[in-house]
Amino acid sequence: MNRGHIVIDDVVKVYDPQGAAVLAVDHCSLEIEPGEICMIVGPSGCGKTTLLNAIAGFHEITSGRIVMDGEVLCSTEKPKSAPGPDRIVVFQNGALFPWKSNLENVIFGPVVQGKLARKDAIDKARAMLADAGLAGVERNYPGEVSSGMRRRVEIVRALMNDPKALLLDEPYRALDSLTKSVMHEALLEIYYKNKVTIFFITHDLEEAIFLGHRVAIMTTRPCKPKKILNVDIAHPRDYGVLTSKRFRELIEETNDAVHEEALKAFQAGEKEG
Amino acid sequence: MEAALRAGEANGAIAALRDATPFRDAAEALLQRIAAIARPARFGAGTRIYGANDAADDIFVLVSGRVEHVFKPEVGAREAHKRMTRGGVFGWAGLLLGQTQRLASVTATEPTEVLRLDTEELVKLLESEPLEGPLVMERFATMIQREFTLPALLAQVRRLSGPLTEEMSSISLTMYRLSLWLKSPRPYLMVIGFALFLGFWYLAVEVWKLPRFREMPGVTSVVKEWLAPEPTYGLSIYTAEYYQHIWMSVWRVTQAFFLATLLGVPVGLLLGWSRKFKQYLFPVFETLRPIPILAWVPLAIVMFIATESAVVYLAFLASFFATALNTMLGVESIDESYIRAADCLGANQWQVFRHVIIPGALPFIFTGLQISIGVSWFSLVAAEMVSGQYGLGYVINTSYMMVRYPTIIIGMATLGIVGYATSAMVRIAGDYLMEWRVRELALTER
Amino acid sequence: MKKVLSNPEFWRGAASIAVFLILWEIGARSKQWMAPEFFAPFKELLGAMGFKKDYLPWVGAVPAPSAVLQSWIGVLGDAGYWQSWYMSFFRVMGGFVTAMIIGIPFGLMLAVSRVSHGIAFPVFEVLRPIPPLAWVPASIIFWPTQESAIIFITFLGAFYTIVINVLGGARSIDVRYFQAAQSMGSSRWDMFRRIVLPGTLPSIVVGSAVGMGITWEVVVAAEMISGGGSQIGGTSGGGLGFFIWNSYIGGSYEQIVVGMISIGIAGYASSEMLRWLGRYATPWLKPR
Repeated sequence: MNRGHIVIDDVVKVYDPQGAAVLAVDHCSLEIEPGEICMIVGPSGCGKTTLLNAIAGFHEITSGRIVMDGEVLCSTEKPKSAPGPDRIVVFQNGALFPWKSNLENVIFGPVVQGKLARKDAIDKARAMLADAGLAGVERNYPGEVSSGMRRRVEIVRALMNDPKALLLDEPYRALDSLTKSVMHEALLEIYYKNKVTIFFITHDLEEAIFLGHRVAIMTTRPCKPKKILNVDIAHPRDYGVLTSKRFRELIEETNDAVHEEALKAFQAGEKEG
Repeated sequence: MEAALRAGEANGAIAALRDATPFRDAAEALLQRIAAIARPARFGAGTRIYGANDAADDIFVLVSGRVEHVFKPEVGAREAHKRMTRGGVFGWAGLLLGQTQRLASVTATEPTEVLRLDTEELVKLLESEPLEGPLVMERFATMIQREFTLPALLAQVRRLSGPLTEEMSSISLTMYRLSLWLKSPRPYLMVIGFALFLGFWYLAVEVWKLPRFREMPGVTSVVKEWLAPEPTYGLSIYTAEYYQHIWMSVWRVTQAFFLATLLGVPVGLLLGWSRKFKQYLFPVFETLRPIPILAWVPLAIVMFIATESAVVYLAFLASFFATALNTMLGVESIDESYIRAADCLGANQWQVFRHVIIPGALPFIFTGLQISIGVSWFSLVAAEMVSGQYGLGYVINTSYMMVRYPTIIIGMATLGIVGYATSAMVRIAGDYLMEWRVRELALTER
Repeated sequence: MKKVLSNPEFWRGAASIAVFLILWEIGARSKQWMAPEFFAPFKELLGAMGFKKDYLPWVGAVPAPSAVLQSWIGVLGDAGYWQSWYMSFFRVMGGFVTAMIIGIPFGLMLAVSRVSHGIAFPVFEVLRPIPPLAWVPASIIFWPTQESAIIFITFLGAFYTIVINVLGGARSIDVRYFQAAQSMGSSRWDMFRRIVLPGTLPSIVVGSAVGMGITWEVVVAAEMISGGGSQIGGTSGGGLGFFIWNSYIGGSYEQIVVGMISIGIAGYASSEMLRWLGRYATPWLKPR
């Protein structure tokens, strides 16, 4: 598995340089292995979404480089990369098009890119949806199904395009914890079938350790890796991991670091990021 | 004897079904059909009825006795163990989306009698009942979530499909809503409201003859005139002239509205979509907009040789501003995430415009169109009063000058009706184009 | 000021307004520059299409901006012009304030009481599609003075908008505010005063700004109709609408445009004033 190798190299991001000059990301370097699930944990507003937006191509960087599979996405000379289907974002509040049915949403990518004929796209979409346990909801509109289902449909929509990486921006933040735990297992199942690189932002340490190969704990703004944890629990994992001894140990190791940053953020009065 | 026995059995079955949550309020006819496909069965104490991961073929309705229902842990139910007696329903896993296996194991703790319903047969039966079928399914869903405390993720019941149900669904939904409305106090309050209004009008003008009201045309004279085959003043539902006037006004509004939409929607889309375009055009737009449409009347008469064009122009102008503005707001209100998602998925600018911007702005556009048609009528009437021949505004104006007071009211009432009808047509067109929104709103209705 | 001038956005807007004025000027003077023989075939074409031959369609009949400006400067010294302003403002304020005084409580009552909503709203909705101007004759018959008749029409125009906005605003108050208040022991009156009223305020502000625009439309029309447009009413109209109509009758087209622009300015100024008042009354709203 050699796809989806992302290198974040000494990236700096300053917002509104002539005005308030807010330093959001401060010389951040991080390397994400191909096919790895890399979790980014940090308090709200610390700048982790800025990083994701830079990789995705929604925002510019001020200096530094981001490289994926040897190709320079953005750099000091070319501060903004173009968004594309090689690294697809799954958004916090969901971005399934409410005016298209679930099926229409899922086939959107390959059809607009001209990669698949409509009929073939529909067949592939049906198969992938069935695989993810979503067989009955094809003709419904996103507004008619539960938010957990919407998330899964969105992930399937992304995977239809065979991306190198999935960029997930706190996708389960708005779900209740019961639904969340089922979603985690669903995500892992999908991951085991399609080994994409996953770049997952969250503020939930348990979620991070449960899902990730590695967990990068970020400082509060300006954002920069404070501590990187190797999660040495074997895959495939199931919810039983949550009560295992090793899991608790890992949380003990990292909890202090996370709490420290959370406290700093709270004192700085960060608005919700 | 056998027939009587079977009839007795059937009644017993129906009684048992009535005690079960999903079938509690169902119509007698439906219950009879369900009872017909129900197969009674008996289990001794301690017998296992089925185990988890068995095929989910039958749904069980408890008639008598007691069972213990244990979910397998993966399901994540808040209450894993559940005891059930008469009226309990279990074995419904086959009704859930994506489930073919049992989610629990069930054992009879006492001698137990049940009714078995084959899942697929039940679903087919419900599909053939366009009004009641979906309601029963909904009750199943509620029961599963509430009484069995399953996480919402799993407890999604299948959608009833089938051409009959799909076609009928909007009609049956409307009928159902209508029946609910009729049962509420609303229609009666409405009648009271109109009675008060008309009653006051009648009394004030014709009975009490209050000071300012005496001069006004009374309800009875208006109604008599309106419905008279030979109206005193020449205008009633029986005269051709009445419809000519209506047609003239409607035709003018239609022209104005369509022109305004044809021009206004693209301009609004561009204003919202392209920053540069907005910077160039919006100042001019905003400078012209505050000028009241009717202030244009003399200029319009000067500009246009034919009064007809002048009148349509005025109605058009009002519509245009409303449409363009609302369209622009609609585009600007689209959540950025949708555009970003489309970018990620490889759409080019034009595809984003077609697949995201236009559908996304549609709700606002239709609000704008409803406003625009109202505004169009507003300007049209004024223009007709000032410089028209034919048309409802003209009718009102000349009726006043010729001291035909009841006809004034007829004109006003007709305007109201026609104005409302055209507005409703726009709204219905919108509902048709935006089915997704209608369904979404229906689900979130309080 | 410097920031405004150095902003390219400002120049783009200014450029298009300038272009607009230039095109208008050229079009309006088409009668003059189309005079030479050179344009004869073009004139024939215009005639064949049904337009007047001597100038460009539509814009050719309109007075040029330069002429309008001249006329305006002339009119500034005329007391009658300023009196028109005063009269129109008077009517707008009268109708608008009345609409607020009656409309806001009415809307709140409908929002709060299901029963009154059921009784009054259908009647309201049935009367609403009737354009206010259609009420002019009925209004003149009913009200003793012409002034009150015009104010009634103005009132109607704003009334509908305000009520709809108040209703919409009250409905959209998050139900949790009520629940929070109830759990803290509020009485019904308290809840009304502290939640419904302030919660509806933003919609009232929006409703008034829109209602103000409609009020100006109606005033102008009512003035034109009762002052001169048709033979309804007496001759003492006054107001900017009447000013415009009079200019038309008198053949001074430049003044028509002067009147139009004046009303535009007056309407815009009143809406802005309302919005400013609104911001003052709802300081908790963040600017979008």
